[in-house]
Amino acid sequence: MSETILEARDITRRFRLDGGRELTACSGVSLSLYRGKTLGLVGESGCGKSTFMRLVMGLDKPTSGEILFRGADIAKMSRKELHETRQHIQMVFQDPSSSLNPQMKIRDIVCEPLMNYGRIKRSQKNETAAELLEAVELPPEYADRYPHSLSVGQRQRAAIARAVALEPDVIIMDEATCSLDVSVQKSIIELITRLQREKGISIGFICHNLPLVQSFAHEIAVMYLGSVVEIMPGEDIAEKSLHPYTRALLGAVFDINSGPGRKIECIKGEPPSPLNIPEGCPFCDRCGECTERCRKEKPRLTEVSAGHKVACHLYGGESEI
Amino acid sequence: MALLEINGLDISYGGELTVSGFGMTLGEGEICSIVGESGSGKTTVIRAVLGLLPTGGKVTSGSILFGGRSLLTLDKKQWRELRGRGISMIFQDSGAMMNPTRTVGSTFVEYIRTHEDMSRKDAWAKGSEMLVKMRLPDPERVMRAYPFQLSGGMRQRVGIAMGMTYQPKLLLADEPTSALDATTQAQIVREMGELRENFGTSIIMVTHDLGVAAYISDSIIVMRSGSIVESGDRGSILHRTQNEYTKMLLDAVPTLGGERYV
Repeated sequence: MSETILEARDITRRFRLDGGRELTACSGVSLSLYRGKTLGLVGESGCGKSTFMRLVMGLDKPTSGEILFRGADIAKMSRKELHETRQHIQMVFQDPSSSLNPQMKIRDIVCEPLMNYGRIKRSQKNETAAELLEAVELPPEYADRYPHSLSVGQRQRAAIARAVALEPDVIIMDEATCSLDVSVQKSIIELITRLQREKGISIGFICHNLPLVQSFAHEIAVMYLGSVVEIMPGEDIAEKSLHPYTRALLGAVFDINSGPGRKIECIKGEPPSPLNIPEGCPFCDRCGECTERCRKEKPRLTEVSAGHKVACHLYGGESEI
Repeated sequence: MALLEINGLDISYGGELTVSGFGMTLGEGEICSIVGESGSGKTTVIRAVLGLLPTGGKVTSGSILFGGRSLLTLDKKQWRELRGRGISMIFQDSGAMMNPTRTVGSTFVEYIRTHEDMSRKDAWAKGSEMLVKMRLPDPERVMRAYPFQLSGGMRQRVGIAMGMTYQPKLLLADEPTSALDATTQAQIVREMGELRENFGTSIIMVTHDLGVAAYISDSIIVMRSGSIVESGDRGSILHRTQNEYTKMLLDAVPTLGGERYV
């Protein structure tokens, strides 16, 4: 892998609730973003993937652990330092209809980050907006429009233009394509991967659509109930993934090439509440291969081959203390 | 005789034609998916079947026959008899169709009592029994819960349970799994397939997910900006289509081990 841009080490985030209860959204997550590479983060709702990305953005502070951006810990930064760092870490949200201010013209939206950091003067906005729109393949005259007169796909392009405006090192995309039609989704992925190649951006891509993530992520991390259970090269996920949860996710994929004869595998039930995470392996209650040991000891992420780590007792996972 | 027959259906909103010349035939126990991108008019079609077009929308020409009887001339009373017993519908988010200030049980009991003369207690029991049929664990707890206390998958099962209470011949499903996680989606789609086996229900499923359509349907209708682009049995649409638009849609669906962009 190339140079590490951002590294999260053993991140835990707990939320304190009424009545002294605690909700563990992330427990001991360690992940890295590399220059010009995409990390896909998959898992069901409530598995902590969005919480983790919020921590990376500095929008929230971890209960313990550190997040190193070029060696400096985001979690310990002052407001001013964080403001400086945010130039390098930008974000694209799920719903472009609510993430773009309806009262601002597209020109002002895409130039706003540059104005905030004093990178351009007011007089340069026309020129800059035209360049940014060109980069995301939108016609330059759209600069004068308001978000409501763009289609959803075009709005998401504008949101991407805003995110790349500061030429960041890292872009975090939280379900950035899941509200889009498949054809639009495809064109957005092509756009993102092109921008990544040209500018060497690292992308953290949160998604629950496994076939989509594996089509462009260099590395995929699978999260379950706040823990990373498997991490591996994106291209290998269909063939080489080992963790029973990853296999279950793959089994639940509806493939257009599969006939009605093919059985869709589904795991029983739903993930337990993050308020009471099982003592041993987080997946033990739904796993078909659960043993006595799985109920008592939580397996640790263990390397099984180069770049492929699994947290499962079946594959030599050691126990956490 | 076909269960549902639609011919030359035109629907307009405020004078603007949004669906034109839609037609389909559905036999008993058949499952048909209507696929297409947002704005293609797929939801408008099934809303018209149940007489649920929003204000301003109306059928301007064509016919909808259910069991040989036209649905376009029904009065309020006739609709009330048909909905729930003959045709029912499940929505993208069944939580949103339930009153958030009332428990699931209270909504369910009301639903049952509008359809038949029954005591609250019996209606409650009937509701719980339907939840058991839809494999909801601990039905009593679900009946006493408010919609927000249930997960998306459980709410959707409640929606299906309500829709299936009177074993309608036709179930209309509007993006029933789009808001769900992959694993829950798989469970719900499978259970919908079982409805046909257990009750002989015909289903029209509106979805933008071609993978789901491929799995569950006997036939598929592809729509684009208000018109049918192509329709046929699933094999002919998925594997032997000659239509450029259908091909483009199929190509855009990411598949495991398929095309990679990096």
